[in-house]
Amino acid sequence: MWREFNKFGKKLVQYGLTHSHFGNMSVRVGDKMFITRSGSMLDELDENQVVEVHLHKPTSFDIIASSELIVHREIYKNTSALAIIHAHSPFAIILSLLIDEKEIIPMDSESIYFLHEIPIITGKVGSTELAHNAADALKDHKAVIIKGHGTIAIGKILEEAYVHTCCVEHACKVKYFVDLQNALTRRL
Amino acid sequence: MDWYGWCGKLVDIDLSRRKIQVIPLELDIMRLYLGGRGLGVYLVYNELTSGIDPLSADNVLVFATGPLTGTPVPTTGRFACVSKSPLTGTILDSNCGGRFGPYLKFAGYDAIIVRGASRTPVYIRIADNVISIEDARSLWGKNVRDTTAALKGYGSVLCIGTAGERLVRFASIMNDNTSALGRGGLGAVMGSKNLKAIVVNGSNRPRVYEPNLLRYRNADITRLLVASPVSSKGLRVYGTPVLMNLINYMKVLPTANFRRSTSPHAYELSGEHIHERFEVRLTPCYGCPIACKREIRSSGMEVPEYETLAMLGTSCEVTNLNAIIEVNHLCNDYGMDTISCGATIACYAELNNLQLDPKTLISLVHKIGTRRDVGDELAEGAHRYANKMGHPELSMDVKGLELPGYDPRGVLGMALGYATSNRGGCHTRAYMVGMEIFGKPKLIHRLSWVGKPNLVALLQNIFAAVDSTVMCKFALFSVSEEEIANALSAVTGIDFTSEDFIQVGERIWNLERLFNLREGFTKLDDTLPERFFQEDTDIRRISKAEFMSALLEYYRARDWTKDGIPTHDKLQALSIAGEYSHVA
Repeated sequence: MWREFNKFGKKLVQYGLTHSHFGNMSVRVGDKMFITRSGSMLDELDENQVVEVHLHKPTSFDIIASSELIVHREIYKNTSALAIIHAHSPFAIILSLLIDEKEIIPMDSESIYFLHEIPIITGKVGSTELAHNAADALKDHKAVIIKGHGTIAIGKILEEAYVHTCCVEHACKVKYFVDLQNALTRRL
Repeated sequence: MDWYGWCGKLVDIDLSRRKIQVIPLELDIMRLYLGGRGLGVYLVYNELTSGIDPLSADNVLVFATGPLTGTPVPTTGRFACVSKSPLTGTILDSNCGGRFGPYLKFAGYDAIIVRGASRTPVYIRIADNVISIEDARSLWGKNVRDTTAALKGYGSVLCIGTAGERLVRFASIMNDNTSALGRGGLGAVMGSKNLKAIVVNGSNRPRVYEPNLLRYRNADITRLLVASPVSSKGLRVYGTPVLMNLINYMKVLPTANFRRSTSPHAYELSGEHIHERFEVRLTPCYGCPIACKREIRSSGMEVPEYETLAMLGTSCEVTNLNAIIEVNHLCNDYGMDTISCGATIACYAELNNLQLDPKTLISLVHKIGTRRDVGDELAEGAHRYANKMGHPELSMDVKGLELPGYDPRGVLGMALGYATSNRGGCHTRAYMVGMEIFGKPKLIHRLSWVGKPNLVALLQNIFAAVDSTVMCKFALFSVSEEEIANALSAVTGIDFTSEDFIQVGERIWNLERLFNLREGFTKLDDTLPERFFQEDTDIRRISKAEFMSALLEYYRARDWTKDGIPTHDKLQALSIAGEYSHVA
């Protein structure tokens, strides 16, 4: 199990989808969840940095799990997701801060195909509000952007959640540059 | 002058002469030492001469609040007590929650210093500017609950039980029944002075220099407390017993007097199991949103803390939950430190090759609390008991203070923290469990020495300053010195940067070290019991060579000599004025 976390943790950092210390990942197995530890570095994950917690009730191990555990729990309880990746992808964050809309409509074909629209939600780090907003939005979306914070993507396996994370960042990057070029053209 | 945060006054009570004085404090001293542990260490260092008997009238007891005590800053309803310890002979501070700290502040005082000894039992009553020494003969012989019940009409009650009266060397002082100035035998110092209790009530809130800015700073602290799983999810849900399963999983759970480091019965004593078995009620300290303390709703008995569950439970190899709840209640009522009590009993069991059962454990606690039979020898603590029996190697202590619930073989920063602690075997000086176990503020490798000596020194400084504000250490799982310094500035009107704040802690740490050097402690006392260098458990023994190398690096990090002695230059840089013949 931890090898999957190690593989996608490295990819997330390697491709600039998050920095080493930001973000977390989890996988649901029945009424249990394996989640990265609080304070762990995503590109250096080993077996000691993935912790097992219960899905429906608090356990001792909650205190060493990612501080976004509450968000992961709420998503699993309300969706069919079996894997979650939370990343601090830069273009997703930038775009969420630049626009006032409550969602981003991707312009590129891949992202429209995979994601349709990407909701932008709010809520403080590790808060109940964020957990509810994320779980609610992910009932009919594969990924969301937390305004000024990062992305949450779900999947049936970690790899699918990783694909959705890539898609969100790609969509935001494309939209950012297209919007920028349009703005420059208008000015000219 | 106008004081903000502080009250600017100290109550000086001489029990021998039955003399009470209210003395103004100097702002320069408060700026350098803050209050709480810092002020207490400053006063005790300057009041005592070396070699005095801690249980004589020559010793003093300082009870001190901090500039944040009783303010709206979260988790600051605390105060400290400092004295020379009858268990270790070191300087020793302990701090606790409850209501005594805020109430003392509301009465208008930053601290109380108690000196001398009364010929007959007395208690001290403080209600704003009315301070009196009262007859306590009718209370002598009563335990904590009865004493508290008798005096609670006068305010928050700080008292000793019969353990303190009988000079049990690890007797504690209890606040409002369940909050303990637990470690090092401060209750015995109180007992030696024939001081049964101090009761305090007050009617004025401390002034805050910038209330609007403080509201903003508090919102910052609260946001971090909510975001951290340790404070908002773990401790809030299960209290400190949340640690039991986790520490067992990490293979650092003291079992059978540290002969093993895991227990197959840990779950029986875990937070999860306690909550399955009992309906509990939160009993938070004053002004604390974390609310880690709790009691069993049906019986009103306290849910034991993790340290108690480990040291009276797995370390004594008694994992019957009902028995541990009972002995915890007994220790609180006699007024005894559950860590030292458990560690001493575990030492006794190993030394006599005994397999303890719940009944025997309960009986031993009664015997220690009353100094009956073997309890009289055990009341001296593990170090003295094991030495007397000719087996000093079976006492798991540092500088005479019994080790708490983390096996140092599996947390090397904690190992160095234990060895270099100024008050002996204590986990809360550098509190490396935060980084090595919880990953707060950053997860570090617990089986590596790399970077640990510097880190231990830095965290010891930070926690010494935190203990002087007086904020709860658990808040440090979420907030940093930056947020605390910001709150301190808003409360006092004095600009404290993070670096100023850390330097306060470093000053306190060095002054504590000077006290211990003056008492004859040396670098040879900065070590661990041989068991941890000689025996493997699920985790390998500690390499002595690596430990010694880390210790030298620690001395360098502190700018001390290779013999662990602060230099004149260091003391001058820390504004520790005065003549110290024992420095390099």
